[in-house]
Amino acid sequence: MKPRGRLHPYLMLLPTAVVLGLFFLYPLALAFKTSFYAWDLLTPPVFVGTRNYAAIVSSGELAGTVGRTLGYSVLVVTLSVTLGLALAVALNRPGPVYAFVRGAVFSAYVVSWVAVALLWMWILDADSGLLSTALRALHLPTRSWLGDPGVALITLALVSVWKITGYAMVIFLAGLQDIPPSLHEAAALDGAGPWQRFVHVTWPMLRPSAAFVGTTSLILSFQAFDVVRVMTQGGPVKATTIFVYAIYEHVFVNLRVGRASALIVVFFALLLGLTGLQLRAFRRGTDRA
Amino acid sequence: MKPPTRRDALRALAGSIAAAASGASCAPRVSDGRVEASLWFAYGGKNREVLLALVAQFHAAQDRYRIHATYQGDYFEALAKLRTALAARAAPALTHVIGEVIPYLAEAGVLTPLDAFAGDTDFGLVPELAQARGFAGGDQRPLVALPWNRSTPIAYYNKRIFRELGLTPPTTWDELRAVAEKATVRGATTRWGFECPIDWWFWIALVGQAGGSIIEADGTPSLGGEAGVRALELWQQLVNRDRTMKPPPGRDYNAWQVANTDFLAGRAAMIWTSTAFLRYLEQNATFEVGAAPLPRGVRASVPIGGTLFVMPKGPPRAEQEAAFAFLRWMMEPAQANAWATRTGYIPVSRAGIAELERSGFYREHPSDRVALDQLAFAEPWPWAPQLFRIEREAVQPRLEEAILLGRDAREVLDEARRIAREP
Repeated sequence: MKPRGRLHPYLMLLPTAVVLGLFFLYPLALAFKTSFYAWDLLTPPVFVGTRNYAAIVSSGELAGTVGRTLGYSVLVVTLSVTLGLALAVALNRPGPVYAFVRGAVFSAYVVSWVAVALLWMWILDADSGLLSTALRALHLPTRSWLGDPGVALITLALVSVWKITGYAMVIFLAGLQDIPPSLHEAAALDGAGPWQRFVHVTWPMLRPSAAFVGTTSLILSFQAFDVVRVMTQGGPVKATTIFVYAIYEHVFVNLRVGRASALIVVFFALLLGLTGLQLRAFRRGTDRA
Repeated sequence: MKPPTRRDALRALAGSIAAAASGASCAPRVSDGRVEASLWFAYGGKNREVLLALVAQFHAAQDRYRIHATYQGDYFEALAKLRTALAARAAPALTHVIGEVIPYLAEAGVLTPLDAFAGDTDFGLVPELAQARGFAGGDQRPLVALPWNRSTPIAYYNKRIFRELGLTPPTTWDELRAVAEKATVRGATTRWGFECPIDWWFWIALVGQAGGSIIEADGTPSLGGEAGVRALELWQQLVNRDRTMKPPPGRDYNAWQVANTDFLAGRAAMIWTSTAFLRYLEQNATFEVGAAPLPRGVRASVPIGGTLFVMPKGPPRAEQEAAFAFLRWMMEPAQANAWATRTGYIPVSRAGIAELERSGFYREHPSDRVALDQLAFAEPWPWAPQLFRIEREAVQPRLEEAILLGRDAREVLDEARRIAREP
């Protein structure tokens, strides 16, 4: 299709470009600039060069935050993708019971993060929570699930998995229903068992869905904030201070906008790199397929 | 009349944005003939009800001003919103903030000096609770803050348990350890002898009792030096070695709430928390609640907590006058006492306290006296703009590390001091 005027394509792009520029690129540029200043929002910013970057590196804060965020993300992405896939395969059948279970699993994804966080705080309470009471009744050891620095991050990751697995399941269900039944029939005629059919038919056909779910859950897990804010406020100690919460803490608690901006810049670079890697892996996967 | 089109709606929207951008907010807001001032507050539960009742009473008592009170979360959430609003030039006419942050806000030049308003600004306040003596050299500076919900930490104990065990509230650190040990029940149903939030405020009480102060007179953040270490080691002793003190999980006020809940459920025989919870605990306990001063180390010492009213710069003068009229009314003995006796905070008005003495209130409610009597040992806050950052960034996370991860007290405080001295 040939545009009538030379400017028309650009004019069509303009609204999106303006929104992107105003709400994504401009703030990012601003954060980049602020990362070279010491600023508390109220008094004039002072230029400090690269000292904000030096501070987050030398204090071990950057390594700690990256480590915790990646740990949380890896847990959330692998578990939610694996569980989502397993549920999709198990529930991809007709009938009202299966439809009900599919709906029930997906409903967690629709509920607000704050409601989910409050519900789980009640379940996970170390003294009177449902989980600890049940474990004690079975004479099993229990812990302070949100108060123990050794397990708090894992607990948060599992709550997030509970919440977003329904999303992965729905995407996989759509992918499963796109696979022509004839492929399975042909494989069965060739003597392939259920596991072989899954490995050689279902999984290759689901790979684009898996790449999509993996990327979006990775982004989702990097954006986690509500669950931390409500359930642990980054504690105990710093055990659950993951990326977005660390930024919030610097801006609103420690009065250090510059340091928060330095963290933003580093994480932007990190996410860009990770997304690039993931896209490359995805492309390579589809080339072969 | 034809129905409004989308274009009309857009035009109206553009108009209102332009009006906001061009500074149309310079005119005070007026509602039914009264000048309206906004008040951002951070009280939940019972305290919120008491405040809103006082605002309604103010509206009934005069017909020139209206106070629009909005809840903004806990102290720290409200402060985050206030700083953002100040940066966006959309601050409320009146709000209240914790004492530790007032030097910072004042030095940043975002608070309206209150001396500038017409009329007498001697409100007959209790100087230890007010700016005058609540801050070192506070009376030498322009008045920017008026006290409202002011408190000290006190010890609450379960009288039933104490009576059964023949215990009396501890008056020294050694007695604290002994009492906590005797009141602890280990086994299937655990009862902790003692519970106290691992919070900067209680640590400061211990540092003072160990003979130190957080910031020296010359402005150096010493974090109490050796006294700071001894304070932290006392907690480590009680939590990790004696196993008689529960550090309530959660951060900030979540942990405070857990301590209250454990105390009310009989899971803790004694807790340290603010006098602010006195009425709440008395009214919700199924046992008799006792209150006692904190024990002494080498001396008796408590910090003052709670908040003071401040008036951010920015709102139109008429709104500020409305806010100040409300403040003036709130500082009167009757309102100060209404607030204090319904909550547990210390009355801020000298005449108000005299009235409570005369009417026999303290004879009937001896627990209300505990915090008031502790004012004799209250440490003023240093006038240090970095105080709030030292609290939140340097000290608070490291107290948790020392208790929950068992890190060496001296080492974490050295680290905290290094961070406290960073610009």
